[in-house]
Amino acid sequence: MIEFKQVSKDYVSNIGKEVKPALREVSFSVKDGEFITLCGRSGAGKTTVLRMIACEEKPTSGAVLFYGQNTIDIKEKDAYTIRQQLGFIFQDFKLLPYKTVFENVAYALEVIGQDTKKSKDEVMKVLDLVGLTKKANRFPKELSGGEQQRTSIARALIHRPRVILADEPTGNLDPYHSRDIMKVLMKINEAGSTIILSTHNKEIVNAIKKRVITIDDGRIVRDEENGMFFI
Amino acid sequence: MKFQKKLFKSDMVSYIRKIIRGGWRNFKRQGFLSFATALIIFIAVMLGTLLFVFENGVNYFSEKIRDKMDVSVYFKESVNQETILDLKGQVEKLPEVKSAEYVSPEAAYEAFSKTHKDDTFSQSLQAIQVNPFLASLKIQTTKPEQYKIVASFFEKEEIAPYVREVNDHKRGEVIEKFSKIATDAESIGLVSTIILSIIALIITFNTVRLSIHSQRMEIEVMHLVGARNSLVRGPFLIQGMISGFFASLIAFILSAIVIFLAKDKIFAMTDGFDIWSIYMANLSVVILVQFGIGIGLGLVASYIATRKYLKG
Repeated sequence: MIEFKQVSKDYVSNIGKEVKPALREVSFSVKDGEFITLCGRSGAGKTTVLRMIACEEKPTSGAVLFYGQNTIDIKEKDAYTIRQQLGFIFQDFKLLPYKTVFENVAYALEVIGQDTKKSKDEVMKVLDLVGLTKKANRFPKELSGGEQQRTSIARALIHRPRVILADEPTGNLDPYHSRDIMKVLMKINEAGSTIILSTHNKEIVNAIKKRVITIDDGRIVRDEENGMFFI
Repeated sequence: MKFQKKLFKSDMVSYIRKIIRGGWRNFKRQGFLSFATALIIFIAVMLGTLLFVFENGVNYFSEKIRDKMDVSVYFKESVNQETILDLKGQVEKLPEVKSAEYVSPEAAYEAFSKTHKDDTFSQSLQAIQVNPFLASLKIQTTKPEQYKIVASFFEKEEIAPYVREVNDHKRGEVIEKFSKIATDAESIGLVSTIILSIIALIITFNTVRLSIHSQRMEIEVMHLVGARNSLVRGPFLIQGMISGFFASLIAFILSAIVIFLAKDKIFAMTDGFDIWSIYMANLSVVILVQFGIGIGLGLVASYIATRKYLKG
């Protein structure tokens, strides 16, 4: 379970040392197996929420609890222990360019110390799930945007993480590929994984019919089950 | 914590193998970056090899100059060999004296005849049928500047009557001049070694740093996927070492070929500087230095360059 307790985050600009609040006293919790959509305008604070869960950012005040562990107590060098329990999907895919599709996916197993021989079958199964079996030996630059995102999804779920964080996963894709990606995410959620999706795509939010948290200017303005896009 | 334990229990050998395989794969796939890094390390290794040759050359010439700088003491005709050998024994006891050689009038005559066998001097000498050479002691000091001590030894009241001439007064200036040249050449060699090594280090560090800087996004992704610092850094270190290894290997082969091909010309030009023999006699040191510089530079430069992008 993930909990945000009165979390505020301020960024200080390099020029003029101006303080810019990214989150203001945000509180919510995420139960196991939930599908949550964070929606809001660009710069509303959605990505900051995800980065805080991944220990990429620490709150200025308040607390973020990841399965009871306060992320503020986790040292930077130990943050990998949290990240190994997460799957991350990014808008720009963030695949490793010098690794093949297979190696990109297997990398998530490598980092948790799984034996390469054992990994092979698991990777092929997940690639089958996202429809990329035939492209296992291709490099990212040889794939379309949709295929790159499916590789990124395969990498995010190969190690069966407790939570998958998806940051605008359809932001760089056409509507056809976007629907495709959302179907995969729904399927993963049905299999029991918790998913936190950040998006400002109205059609997607309305189509999911799951819990929607709307963030505006760093504050939660709505938190509804079966929510709709509202800004 | 569950995941940490899982990793802790995992086979360390397999973990290291993964890092090595990752580094090797990156080296192969990042063709241009690997080539650029290896090229710069190659230049640094070649520079190191050149400095080795230069250093040996400077030492050879300064030794040669010093060896030629002796003090010759000529004795009067009336002084017998025993007295001269006794004086030789005394002068050898001086801490400043490296060696003393007795040259009999016959040996001096023979040496002269040999050197001048084809010219008129030798013929004139044969014509007069007299050996005009005096017995002498050729004395070498540890440092050429110490010739004055030797000269003053033979100016002592009890020894001076035996001596016809000490040639330090004529050679004094020359000895000091050449001695200074030899010392200066050694100092220049040392300073250039230091300066060129620093330049090579800076260029290599910057090239490796630029290469790793261009992959900073990938380092960030590795972190986000949950890689520990060692798993992120390891392949970069291996990649740097492999680049260094190949750079050293090529530098080793190339320098050996160049030195082998140039050895005769260098020998002839320098009146006896046998670089190939020096190279072969120091082969283990050369290999150690070349591969040490290459692999070491690749490793250290990669370590420093990755430190900036690692967290915690």
